[in-house]
Amino acid sequence: MDEVKVGVFLSDCGNQLSKILDFDALTNYVKKISDVTLVGRRSEFRRGEGLQAIKNAIESEKINRVVVAESLPKLSEVNIVQAVEEAGLNPYLVETIDLKHHCAWPHRETPKEATEKAKAMLLAAIERAKLLEPIEKLEFPTLKSTLIIGGGIAGMQAAIDLADLGFEVNLIEKAPFLGGLATRASRFFPTDDCAICIQSPVSDVKTITHTSRKCVYRSGFSEIPNLNILTTSKVVSVEGVPGNYKVTIEKKPRYVDEMKCIACDLCTTVCPVEVPDEHNAKLKTRKAIYMQVPNVHPPVYVIDESVCKFYDCAKCVKICPTKAINLDQKSEQIILNVGSIIVATGFQEWDSSVIREYHYGDYPDVITNLDLARMIDGFGPTGGAIVRPSDRKPAKKIVMIQCVGSRDRRWKPYCSSICCMISLKHASLIKSAHPDTDITLCYIDIRTTGREHEDYYERAREMGIKFVKGRPSEISRNPETNKLIVDVEDELLKRLLELEADLVVLAPAMVPAEGTKELAELLSIELDKDGFFKEYNAKLRPTETKLRGIYLCGGATFPKDVPTASLHAHSAAIKAVKFLTTGKIVKDQRTAVINEDYCGDCEFCPVTCPYGAISLEETTEGHFVAKVSDLLCEGCGICVGTCPLGAIELRHSRPSQMQAQMKGLMSVNGTSKPLVLAICCSECGHTAVDSSGMAMMKYPANVRVMQVPCTGILQVHQLLDAFKAGAQGVMVVGCKSDGCHYEVGVQKAEKKVELVRILLKEYGIEPERLEMFNMVYIEGNKFAEAAQMMTERIEKLGQLQLMGGS
Amino acid sequence: MIQGEEEKTASLEFSEIVTSRLGGETIRRCYQCGTCASSCPVAKITERFNPREIIKLSLLGKKDEVLSGEAIWLCCSCYNCQERCPQKVEIADLIYALRNIAFEEGYIPNIYSDFASALLDDGRIVKISRFYEDKRPALGLPPLQPTGVDALRKILSATGFDRLQQKEKSQ
Amino acid sequence: MTSYALFLGCLIPAHQPNYELSARKSLAKLGIELVDLANMTCCAPPPVQSIDLETSLAIAAYNICLAEEADLDLIILCSGCFESLSMANAMLKADEQLKAKVNKILSKVGKEFLGNKDVKHYLQVLIDDVGLKRLKQSVSKPLTNLKVAAFYGCHALRPSELLKLDDPERPKVLETLIETVGAKSVEYLNKLKCCGGLLKGYSDDLALSLAREKIANITRAGADCVATLCPFCYTALDVGQVLLKGKFNEIYDMPVLHYSELLAFALGIAPKELAITPATHKIKVDKVVSKIS
Repeated sequence: MDEVKVGVFLSDCGNQLSKILDFDALTNYVKKISDVTLVGRRSEFRRGEGLQAIKNAIESEKINRVVVAESLPKLSEVNIVQAVEEAGLNPYLVETIDLKHHCAWPHRETPKEATEKAKAMLLAAIERAKLLEPIEKLEFPTLKSTLIIGGGIAGMQAAIDLADLGFEVNLIEKAPFLGGLATRASRFFPTDDCAICIQSPVSDVKTITHTSRKCVYRSGFSEIPNLNILTTSKVVSVEGVPGNYKVTIEKKPRYVDEMKCIACDLCTTVCPVEVPDEHNAKLKTRKAIYMQVPNVHPPVYVIDESVCKFYDCAKCVKICPTKAINLDQKSEQIILNVGSIIVATGFQEWDSSVIREYHYGDYPDVITNLDLARMIDGFGPTGGAIVRPSDRKPAKKIVMIQCVGSRDRRWKPYCSSICCMISLKHASLIKSAHPDTDITLCYIDIRTTGREHEDYYERAREMGIKFVKGRPSEISRNPETNKLIVDVEDELLKRLLELEADLVVLAPAMVPAEGTKELAELLSIELDKDGFFKEYNAKLRPTETKLRGIYLCGGATFPKDVPTASLHAHSAAIKAVKFLTTGKIVKDQRTAVINEDYCGDCEFCPVTCPYGAISLEETTEGHFVAKVSDLLCEGCGICVGTCPLGAIELRHSRPSQMQAQMKGLMSVNGTSKPLVLAICCSECGHTAVDSSGMAMMKYPANVRVMQVPCTGILQVHQLLDAFKAGAQGVMVVGCKSDGCHYEVGVQKAEKKVELVRILLKEYGIEPERLEMFNMVYIEGNKFAEAAQMMTERIEKLGQLQLMGGS
Repeated sequence: MIQGEEEKTASLEFSEIVTSRLGGETIRRCYQCGTCASSCPVAKITERFNPREIIKLSLLGKKDEVLSGEAIWLCCSCYNCQERCPQKVEIADLIYALRNIAFEEGYIPNIYSDFASALLDDGRIVKISRFYEDKRPALGLPPLQPTGVDALRKILSATGFDRLQQKEKSQ
Repeated sequence: MTSYALFLGCLIPAHQPNYELSARKSLAKLGIELVDLANMTCCAPPPVQSIDLETSLAIAAYNICLAEEADLDLIILCSGCFESLSMANAMLKADEQLKAKVNKILSKVGKEFLGNKDVKHYLQVLIDDVGLKRLKQSVSKPLTNLKVAAFYGCHALRPSELLKLDDPERPKVLETLIETVGAKSVEYLNKLKCCGGLLKGYSDDLALSLAREKIANITRAGADCVATLCPFCYTALDVGQVLLKGKFNEIYDMPVLHYSELLAFALGIAPKELAITPATHKIKVDKVVSKIS
């Protein structure tokens, strides 16, 4: 190995820091440390002449390790590291510390102590820098193709975006036709367009006549060349890595050749099998061979194999003029190779028949909003007439009930967000078309929060739609008239009402689409507590999952209206291909590495890794060892903390490097207080220390801070090592318990801290010397208070005497 | 409620007093949907009783109005409300809790006072008359086993129940 | 021979020997042994719960302890007692802290609630231990042509999470048992609504209004009689009709019988052995008796 030459660059921030820290003393101190070949001091090093000075030092081969004391390394490091790389040195041979926010400012009232602490911080950084190793950039090839699971509005919108961007897009849909809920929804708020038109969002494809702006009938959606649409298809298995997935699809037989069917409808005229049409709320029947709604994609008939008589009949085969029907068609397995996957499987109405007192499923005249939508739809089974399903008489008195199953602790505790709007839309549409209809809407609260949503509520009132604030307790039926009676308290009047109704419309909760759980398992992505796909971060990353390569959009994460689903789809489309545009993923190998000689095949690490980056592979000797995928590894180190044999190390945060830091930080005290080591995670813990400094908070200089990627990296012995290194007290500072940025790391750290406290007690050491703290970036005050509290606590406990010295 | 805990709760907000009592723990979940009122057979025939209103008054802290009124005594304990409440508020149970508090504060309807006395005297709320007891052999019924009056009295003393009864007597 | 500790409660031995007799005799015929334990007390039903819930739990637990000591599950005839004891049993089994609190009180009488016994309504015993098949086979005088309105009352079914006897919105067990003894179960409006029994003494008017609605609905449905499961409901409907005559001058003449009485008839036990007198049945049941003979 080449001789190590460490360059140390101290920025004094326009001489402000030197008012507190004795920079001459620091420079002299650093010069005396072995292997330090250059010490520089300027106002700043992250740009301009300072940055150039670092580059010069590297290019002239005076140094091959860089230690920079600069303000807010998390921001300034980017420039520094880039410059180092340009100068020809591996960018991972750099260590940065923040003397301003971690030393000078918090300890400004004790400048001498601050200077001593700065010495320790520099020593720690230098000793760690000596042990750093170059880390390579790896390239992983990616495919310029994606898979979108789910052909509803969100899926279709994302498909259009990606096809227009030039990617190969595979859109699969488990139903025989695209469109999802849009095919049943009649009209969408807030514009009340025909839902079916919004099925096909704007595409750039031009047809001979012109490019249509909205209408599915003329949009040429199916003609987009790089869009491969597979209906009656489901995902069976997924293998591979981001950029290179191999997805196996099962395409169920349609029994009708998509290339030959001319949609002439002759087949239905001879089909002897007639069944209730579920798509049309069973308000009409359909044949075993059918097409759903005019102007869907694909415009090809399909046979319902659960009711078709096949060769016992085959009348349709004989009559089809283009011989398009093939009863021998079998399921196909199709393999798709894609770079990323978007999940757009949407949601569905919850089955409210379990609320027995409402008699859904029992009384035919109790229906849901989606059922009602079929009646409102001009294309629908009643031609736009609102009728009682039981006797087909016109429904002149309608009662609507909100929150059926939603906001209900027994069923779905959440608010389904769109039902108030759906019901108001339906009520307004019905009242417009049939003004003599009496409509009463029973609600607990009316939630019309989006743009132009309140207009619906206003219009509804102006149209004379009645509102009752009260949740009905029961729907009963008058045995003589067969009309429904809804028992509800009008709370505002404080009167118990018995509303008579021809038709009762329930607004059931919205729940994840069927198959959500199975798909989540196949893709190894998480569901939230309500069973919806869980987005990585609700605020900033609403269409991502914790796995790179798999994205979410639309109602699959939570019920949403069309405008929101559209936005979501555009977002997911971008995210899904951002990393595919260059044809390769470039990633630093700052990942975990397994020492196969030590690996005991205990299988803890593959299970613990939140990213599925570790797999077990058989060796030539016949046993299994763990192997880390450099592509999937996120560099958290949780596996390191999990391995009972210490067989895993995280590059750039190796135990040896960490120990050098610990020793360095504990080497110099310079205060009259006992030394406390705070091990902070790079996500929340260390940033909380930054913010305490930025906010000019004060805490004593005996508290020394060390950064780790995630507190989950810590092994039990390392916590004990901290005491051996000279710490009298140890703080482990991580994210909030339920908010670890690496999913589970902080919880693992908490458990380890508990365990070590038990061990300390066994060794006759006070367990209170070690404590876990949870905080977020903006809680700088929490860090300062904790540091102060620990210091006082350790002072009371007195000096720690370790046998054999520390 | 055991003596001694009374002083602690005196300074709490009324809804918190209710949540700290057996049966009343869930009162704050209520979001005033009215399902209970609509399910209630008593509310259907009289305006004097409305379970939603009782909860609302309690949540707003109207302690005296709730405890001194007749409404809380008009619940027939059918539990229909509790069955159907979408927030799983234990409505019938919290009405018991309100009655318990009312009892302690001295708002005691006569009939309940009679029940309490009967319990202390006979170990039963309805006395089994000698007439029916003597008839048992003729009817073909086995003799009645003795009632555990002593045990009951000790239990009533341990919980402070007898003290409640005496409180009423003194008023 | 399956044995249960019988919990009688207060109302049945006080006023309704017909309930006790019919239950004892029919259960004996069906092979269920009823053991009478000493020192039972009131079960602490809603009137006592209204005074103090903790005391009620302790009283209920005390009675369950007697069964635990005798190593027997409890069988209950009165739905009110069933609710009180079942609730206490379920609540104490589920909540360790509450159990400890109650046991502290019970220690004063040398008892400890263990939570190792079940509390069953006699309907559950008929379904689980006797079984519908054996019950049907034991019927020697099927009550053919008798139209019976099943009246569950409230406390056999609710709170359903703790009692778990049957589906509180669509219960079937009583109708099934009525049909098993050969009678026909008749549907009527607002079947599951409360009889108002517990309002008696505080507001007799409201109690009577609720009872009136029930009797009217049952009469309108064309039933020959009502089958009850609880002495409170029984009194509300039976004595209630006398009060309705007095107050509103309305005569319904709807006989009210406990299900156990109908069961006893079906098992061949003669009505005269069941203490069916004008004292126990204010509304005469002669029509019912003649219809089934």
